[in-house]
Amino acid sequence: MATQKSRPPKIAGWVIKHTARYEENFAIHGDFNEEFHEIASRRGIFIARLWFWRQCLRSFPVFLKDSFYWRLIMFKNYMKIAFRSLKKHKGYSFINISGLAIGMAVCVLIFMWILNELSYDRFHEKADNICRLTLDIEIGSMLHTPVSLTAAGPALVEDFPEVIAAARVDRPRMIFVKYKDKTFQEADVGFAENEVFDIFTFPFISGDPKTALQAPNTVVITESTAQKYFGDEDPIGKILRFNNETDFSVTGVVKDIPHNSHFRFNMLRSFQTLMANGSVRDDMWFDLRFFTYLLLDEFTDPSQLEQKFPGFIDNHLGDAMKATGGTVRLFLQPLKKIHLYSDFERDISANSDITYVYLFSAIAFFVLLIAGINFINLSTARSATRAQEVGMRKTLGAIRSRLIGQFLGESMIHSFLAMGLAIVFIILSLPFFNTVIGTELTLNFFQSPWLLAAVLGMAIIVGVCAGSYPAFILSSFPPVHVLKGLLKAGGSHSRFRKILVVFQFSISIALIAATIIVYQQIIFMKNTELGFDKEHVVIIPRMSETLRKSYRSIRSEMRDLSGVVDVGASDLVPSRGHLVGTFLPEGFADDQILSMDYMNVDAHYIPTMGMEILEGRNFSEDFSTDPNESVLINETAAKKIGWKNPVGKRFVFRPPPNSGREVFYLTVIGVVKDFHLQSLREKIEPLIIFYDYNSLMTLSVRIAPDNVPHTMGLIEKKWKELDPNRPFNFLFLDESFDSLYRQEDRLKTITFYFSFLAILIGCLGLFGMASFTAEQRTKEIGIRKVLGASVLGIIRLLAKEFMLLVIVANLIALPVAYFAMNRWLQSFAYRMDIHPIIFVLAAALSLSIALLTVSYQAIRAALANPVDSLRYE
Amino acid sequence: MKELTKIEEILMLAIWRLQDDAYGVKIRQYVSQILGKEFTYGNLYSALSQLAKKKYVNKSLGDPTPDRRGRRKIYYTVSTSGLNALKAARDMNQKMWEDITDYAFD
Repeated sequence: MATQKSRPPKIAGWVIKHTARYEENFAIHGDFNEEFHEIASRRGIFIARLWFWRQCLRSFPVFLKDSFYWRLIMFKNYMKIAFRSLKKHKGYSFINISGLAIGMAVCVLIFMWILNELSYDRFHEKADNICRLTLDIEIGSMLHTPVSLTAAGPALVEDFPEVIAAARVDRPRMIFVKYKDKTFQEADVGFAENEVFDIFTFPFISGDPKTALQAPNTVVITESTAQKYFGDEDPIGKILRFNNETDFSVTGVVKDIPHNSHFRFNMLRSFQTLMANGSVRDDMWFDLRFFTYLLLDEFTDPSQLEQKFPGFIDNHLGDAMKATGGTVRLFLQPLKKIHLYSDFERDISANSDITYVYLFSAIAFFVLLIAGINFINLSTARSATRAQEVGMRKTLGAIRSRLIGQFLGESMIHSFLAMGLAIVFIILSLPFFNTVIGTELTLNFFQSPWLLAAVLGMAIIVGVCAGSYPAFILSSFPPVHVLKGLLKAGGSHSRFRKILVVFQFSISIALIAATIIVYQQIIFMKNTELGFDKEHVVIIPRMSETLRKSYRSIRSEMRDLSGVVDVGASDLVPSRGHLVGTFLPEGFADDQILSMDYMNVDAHYIPTMGMEILEGRNFSEDFSTDPNESVLINETAAKKIGWKNPVGKRFVFRPPPNSGREVFYLTVIGVVKDFHLQSLREKIEPLIIFYDYNSLMTLSVRIAPDNVPHTMGLIEKKWKELDPNRPFNFLFLDESFDSLYRQEDRLKTITFYFSFLAILIGCLGLFGMASFTAEQRTKEIGIRKVLGASVLGIIRLLAKEFMLLVIVANLIALPVAYFAMNRWLQSFAYRMDIHPIIFVLAAALSLSIALLTVSYQAIRAALANPVDSLRYE
Repeated sequence: MKELTKIEEILMLAIWRLQDDAYGVKIRQYVSQILGKEFTYGNLYSALSQLAKKKYVNKSLGDPTPDRRGRRKIYYTVSTSGLNALKAARDMNQKMWEDITDYAFD
């Protein structure tokens, strides 16, 4: 009778079997079948099936409700036990949860930072189709720049239909802006073509994005800038005066630029202004001032367009390139890659680096790992205390998978409690983190669903990963052994725990060593002899045109101030950029031009800075021919050119073919001792120094080391007299140099805090383990003491075990740290040697911290009275 | 002692009446008939497992038959404490209905 056809529906049967979680399950299934067959034989198979399904579906809710009810009861029991053991072992729970919380807080903070880094420039609606035109130009020397040929943008739009729009943008700079009688030193003021609003998404609050920057002398400002200048007045049509020279009228107000934009401005003046005053012409090809952004149509692959560029260059510049023998290559850099993948020396704003993203991710991962290991170690170490419970549950019929579930659930509770605490930590530490890293992160789950997902995901993953090993161990205890008391305290898994402790400490020690090395390299860079005296030099940048013309009288007026030692002028200042040009030493073939740094100074600059003339003489005001005929070079230049006696040798200068000027020569009159023009990351390049009054933009004032505030007061007063229209703006040379190492400073701070946290979490774990061992060995210690062991001997006994682990960790971590940091140091042209003492220091530090952690418990155990520990319970 | 619910009362009476034939199918059919509507297995076993837990009914295993696809029946009988509970329920019912005549509903 039970043919295939007359069988009850399989799916419905399966549902019953798996939802009806009563002891009577089998009988229910049987009843269903019996009645099914009865109906089938009476009223046909179809009706029977229908009945079966109906019955099943209607019973299903009740089955489900009951099964949940029973599970809930069990769940309540699990929760109760979990919280009881939390409370009972307050110390362990505290160590477990707070360690995990610190790890999670670090992880979430870094995740927030990474999200922020990855979000750069994504807010532009057409972000996928925006590229920046970058340039490699090689005429004598190689130049790799984010700025491009001035004429290239419009020509590309003309030549290629796939280029929809091009916008040229000037680097936003600091400038003085005056409205009525108020003058502000305004940061980030640039020039841009109106197309910038077609390409990027900068929403207008008022003004017309189509025409805002069409006319000369117009300016678009951001919302908060408008607020600052005009308050509640309508900004449109207001006149702003820039550098006390030119008037611009406000034609638009845009929303403030999001902080995750690589291109930021407070004011954008129209590019037409530059065209109108003649400083830019559309036929200017060899002019590298402007960033060019292109909007491509959405079907164009940038790399394919790039392949057409050589033809484009040939078309427009073929003849010029043949004449100079150089090469020009254009590239498209996708907008989304600018922030993390740029390698340009001077970009439109300071970019980040994908390496930092990787580095931080690795650190976050390791810190979390250390915290997770704590959890595993403490849980397995304490497993014996839960063995009785496990034995009892098993005896009463618990199956292993249920026990695993129970313990996983417990680690989940820990994990979520830790995440709660971690969020508190994050909220507390966020302002601090922001100042260290220089970001404006906020913890807002509503704005960032990714963050919420990450936080919940992390809690779950940590709970499962850290919980599964202890759950596996705990649930494996054979009840007979446990209940008979045969089980030794988690002994068999101690090797695994030891490996984990070694691993934890290896990470911490490597971080400590790395921190020390970064720290030392920064000190090295800040203290290295630069070739001049950087202390007590005041830099007054950006002298106005009129002041430059009367430089000589200004110099003598400044020179006469009390406290001023000497005054010199130059076009640029060490630590604040360098210029590269190509030069031809006499006697070299025309194609042997050399790429050299160059700068312009006056005769007083070199003595003012304390630079040393090794051969020959300095420029002198007594020689009227010096400005036109003489140059200085540095040692490196002499070496590179191969001049044994450089004084008297000459450089050849060929003006452009059509300029109508003749070839002229400049004679080397002296050699300057090498000095650092740039940070110590860079090598000292060959340098040629000109004596040129026309380009002296920056004043360097050496002051006496005593009574600096008084001298500064005098200088400021004098400067206000000389240049009453602008605020007095200055900086100290040594501070300017120090600021070159901001990136390293930041790295130092970060590694410092992370290694601190890593070692803190590691020590929390060690402390827990030590107290546990001490507790386990109470009786042993009692017996040893009775038999005459000394307190010191017992401390040694307890500490030895852990100290061995830390020593092994040192042996693993230090070579790793050495190789990693050696690679990091390779990026500096001038670097300190890694001294072995650093590793001794790291080892000593880790050992003493570990010893301190362990010894508290060891001493307590050693001092305990054996009477208490051996008393019969 | 907690009062029986109406369903429990009905089920125990059904088991009592069905005597040697008191297992899932028969109980369900009987109760459905009394109620005049389909009584689901869900409700049946939810209540039966409660009764079993309270020890008002005893369970015994029957033989597997082919039309049950090899699954045994569980036969139910009312236990002594079950009988007491039923008696208490009846007493309570009687007390509640005592003075109310049939005419009250007319």
